[in-house]
Order: sequence, then structure tokens, then C-alpha cells
Amino acid sequence: MIECPTCKHQEFVGTMFCSECGARLVHVSPLPTMTIPRDHVNEVAMATKPAAPEGPELESGALLGLRVISSGEVISLLGRDNYTLGRSAEGQAVVPDVDLSPYDAYEQGVSRMHAELRVERDSVYVLDLESANGTLVNGKRLQAQKPHPVRHGDIIQLGRMRLQLISRVRN
Amino acid sequence: MPGEQDYYSLLGVSRDATPDELRSAYRKAAMKYHPDKNVSEGDTELFVQINKAYEILADPEKRAAYDAQLAEMAVEQAQFRCRVIQSRRTILELDEPQVHYILIDIEPRADIAEVRPPINLSIIIDRSTSMRGPRLDQVRAAAISILRSLQPSDSASIVAFSDRAEIIVSPDQARDMSVARARLSLLTAGGGTEIGQGLKAGLAELERNLARQGVNHLVLLTDGRTYGDEEECLAMASQAARQGITINGVGIGSDWSDRFLDELASRTGGNVVFLDSPTAITGLLRKLFDDLTKVVASRIQLAGQFAQQVDLRSAFKLLPEPMPVDDEFPANLGHLPRDGKIRVLLETVVHPLGDVEELTIGRFEILGDVLGPQAEEIRLPLHVRIPVSQEPDPDPPPDDILSALGAVALYRMQEKARHEAELGQAGQAARRLENLATQLLASGERELAKAALNEAERLVHSRRISAEGEKMLKYGTRALLLPAKAGPGS
Repeated sequence: MIECPTCKHQEFVGTMFCSECGARLVHVSPLPTMTIPRDHVNEVAMATKPAAPEGPELESGALLGLRVISSGEVISLLGRDNYTLGRSAEGQAVVPDVDLSPYDAYEQGVSRMHAELRVERDSVYVLDLESANGTLVNGKRLQAQKPHPVRHGDIIQLGRMRLQLISRVRN
Repeated sequence: MPGEQDYYSLLGVSRDATPDELRSAYRKAAMKYHPDKNVSEGDTELFVQINKAYEILADPEKRAAYDAQLAEMAVEQAQFRCRVIQSRRTILELDEPQVHYILIDIEPRADIAEVRPPINLSIIIDRSTSMRGPRLDQVRAAAISILRSLQPSDSASIVAFSDRAEIIVSPDQARDMSVARARLSLLTAGGGTEIGQGLKAGLAELERNLARQGVNHLVLLTDGRTYGDEEECLAMASQAARQGITINGVGIGSDWSDRFLDELASRTGGNVVFLDSPTAITGLLRKLFDDLTKVVASRIQLAGQFAQQVDLRSAFKLLPEPMPVDDEFPANLGHLPRDGKIRVLLETVVHPLGDVEELTIGRFEILGDVLGPQAEEIRLPLHVRIPVSQEPDPDPPPDDILSALGAVALYRMQEKARHEAELGQAGQAARRLENLATQLLASGERELAKAALNEAERLVHSRRISAEGEKMLKYGTRALLLPAKAGPGS
């Protein structure tokens, strides 16, 4: 991804104009992610609120979803009040509700039980489950086990994996 | 290579003839022209040619090479050609998705014959109550002017609709000016707006005179929203596109549904014009007709498939008129003007590639009919390839792509702001319109910038964008896509 120098919006490599503010991105270096060390999670300071998610829609009936930023795929969340996020491994006793392993979760430092999404009284919260690499919301690192309110469009980062919350829950 | 005849026609078989068909055709021809039998002069040469033809076509490898040569010749001789410009000369070997832009130009040959194609036209007029007065007067004047310039090979009809349709001037009546004039005086306003009724009647008139040598075109003029028959209209548009009919939309004032008209027209390769004042109607219709007389090829399509690792994100037609293009292929691109070109901008996302030296982005075909007495169907193969590299291309992207993308970015901001306003995110929408205004000012578009600021202010006070503002910003920023006008975003 490359970052717009004006509004800090993230765009795919090769994008020439920021889709948020219209600024020209031609001279923004196209190779930043390859220089980030794999074992180190950068805290990205977000100057502005992230953009509303684009791309594929939620399944009908789903109030919540997560868009995997790197691929654009949308995971619809249906039928529960809380979802654990993580990855499954062979022989694992407890598997997370949302298994992120198809999206290269291991390589990106996602723990097996990494975080939890909760819907409570028309609000959505995210909670870090004492993961190895931590959970960030819009670039801010969360304290473990402490619920943090999240809204439509927020970026939830598990290790290095970035997910954007799609929410139709009123708040 | 034979001079005039290719080997297939020499043997009298089709291009997809089976080996058996070839063998029997060869035996017959060889027997007929065998030197033992032949009588007339030139038969021996023919016999030699036939043997040569069979020698090539009977060998699968030689036949494939010969077919490729034939295809190449067809491309060289085609009445129009296509050219591809890509945003970069190499694509990066990356483990994350990247954006890549492709510009496709379709141009007539410089020496293409000047032929005025037969025009099969139907003008569909909204006669609902709101069209009363200057709007209908303008339409009437335009209709008379167009009917006057019809040629014997043309066919034209004028249909009015409210909640039902009426043929005001039929193709037969259109040939007699005094009848047509009298019929047009019957065109008065009254009733609601049901576009489906008008569309059905207009398309029926066009279908009766469909011509492969000419343009088949429908112009839909409306100032209102159609009620409950959108889906039906869109299905009719898809069917019209399959028959080679192009639909142009003209929206007058602020109360028509731009999204619906855009969708309707884009399915057929047509475009949409927004008129904020009725005084421009006559001039616009006149120009639409004049443009039709300068079409050299019609029913242009972009067909084919992208590679598995490549997704099409959006497609925009930049020339001859800016218009979003259906992202489902084959995409209809409408008419090719003699003095211009069709230019399409494709925005693609390339997913991680694995270990390859070259990526075939897609295998496409440009299809179209050259018009006039020598009507001819043309298929141009178009394989878009790009080398894969570990180093980014150091050169800046081509200006044509850059300036078009600058304009697309502005168009998208307007769309996003409107979407946000509809979701109730008025603050965010207002901020975006302010950003848009800044960018517009930077590219010298003062009027549009002012409109964007006005709407931003309106959003703060009333949480809405005005219906008129929506259309001004949409068609205003879309017009910036015309290469002559598009300046770099900053």
C-alpha cells in the first residue's frame, strides 16, 4: 500500500490520485511495505478518520463485516453478538469464530485467539485478547482485555493484518 | 501469400474446414484443373496454386502459421485500428495488490472513405405536464430541422410519451415535411412520465428499419422520473444493445433520475447529456443528428477476458463523449466518429503474480461494423501484456493517462460525497466537497468549484445536496474527462 501525503489515506500501489482528497500520488514511493521488518508492528498514526469502506457488500442480513484491506475481500459476520478473531492451526482445541488463516494471518502475526468483536446495546467494541503482536484501532494500540468502541470505517489492525470494520449497527 | 484470393477461398472451403472437408475439396479442384484435362489458359497456374494451398492447409503447423498471417493481414487492412497505452511499462513483482491503468484507443484509418451512413433514428419525447412551454417548443423546432435534413436512405420517427406512447411522426410521415409539421403541432403536454411506454414504441419503429450498413439510434428526452418500470426499461436497453441500437439520454432540469438514465444509456454504448436550461435543446438535438452523419463504424464492442490475477475495477469511456462503461464484457462502446476516436480507460487491480517474467493482462477483441455500402464486420484481436520487474518503472506515466485519472479522481469525489450525503454523513460529505472545490480551483474550474462549495454549505445547513447540484457536479466533473479539457489534478 502507499499512503497519501496529504490525508494519509491508504491506496494500492500504482494509484495515481488519492481517492479521498484527490491529491496526486505519482511520486509517492511504490515500495514501502517491503521495507517494513516482519517482526515489528508499526504504529501508523492516522491524521484523519479512515474512509468509509468501498468494494464488495455485506451479505444480506449481516449487520457487521470485516474488509481485508490487502485483498479487498469482505467477511460477513452473521448470527452472533460476539466474534473471536484469530487463526486456526492443526490440532487446536479452541478455534476462533472468524478464522483469518486464509488471508495469510500467520505471516502477518495474528495470534490464534487475537481479538474479539462485541455488539452491545447498539454499539460495537473490539477487545484485544492478550495477543502476541497486539491490536490497533486506527493506528492506536489497545490495552489488552479492555473493550474499545469501534465504528463503521475504522481500521482494526491485528499484528500486521489490517481489517476495516463495516457496520450497519446504529451507534 | 496469394495476391487476391486466400487459400481457403481458392479451395472453396470455409476457414474452419475440417481435414476431411479440405481433402475432398482439394480432390475435386485438382481433378478439375489437372494438366491432363485442362483446356483454358491459366488453368495450370491455378493447379499449382491449389496444390500449394493444400500442402499448407493439410499440415496443422503450417495451417496455424498461415491462419496467423491471415489474421495479421485482416488487422492491417481493417478500416479501424486500436492502440493500447499502459500506465507503466513494467509491473512490479509485489506480494500485495497493485493498480494498473490501461488506455485503449480505437481510431478509423486516416484514408477511410467518406461515406454518410444511412441513419435509422427515433426521438422519444417526454410530453408530461412539466414539459409544457419552451421545452416542447424547442423540441418541435429541433425535430423539424432534423426531418428536413433526412436523406432517402434514412428513416426517422418521433414518439411522444406520458403514461402511454403515441407515434407523432412515423417514418413514412417523416418523408413529407408538410405532414410532419402538421403532426408535430399535435405534440402537446399532459400526463405523467412512463419512460417504458415511449421506449417500447420507439424501439419498435427502429426495429422495422434496422440496417447493418447504418447507425441505429434512439434519443430519449425527459425531465422527470419514471415510475415503477425502471427494470423493464433496462431490460429493453439490453435487448436494444444486442440488436445494435444505441440509446442517448437527454435530461432537462433537475428532477430526472440521472442514475437511471446513465445505466440505460451505458448498456447500449450511448451517453447522457444534462441540460439545465431548455434553450439548449434545439442545438443539442441538431448536433446529435449531425454527429450521426459522421459515424464510420458502429456497434463497437470491447470483448474478452482478464487474466485470473487481474480484476477490472472500473471502465470509463473518455472519447468521443465521457461516460462510465459497464464493467461486464462485452462492453458496448457505441459509434466511432470519422474525425475522432473512441478512448476507453480501464482501471485494474493486479494481484500478486508469483514467478513470471511477463503478465498477460487480458485477451480482448474489438468488434464493430464498418458502415456504408461496403458494410463489413471487423474483429481486432487485442492482447495486453506487460513485463514483470522488481524495480519500479522510473518514468512518469503517460500524460494522457495522468490527465484522465486526475479528472476521474474529481468525478469519484463527487460520487462519494453524494453517497455519503445519502447515508446521512453530511459532515463528511461537506468536507469532501470542500476538498473537491480546492482541486477544481487548482485546475481552473471556477464555476464548478463554486457549485461544490455551495453544496458543501447546503450540506452543513440542511444535510442534503440539491437535486440540481448533484447533476451539475456529476456532469460537470464528467465533462472534465474530455482530453482537451482535462488538466492534471494539481
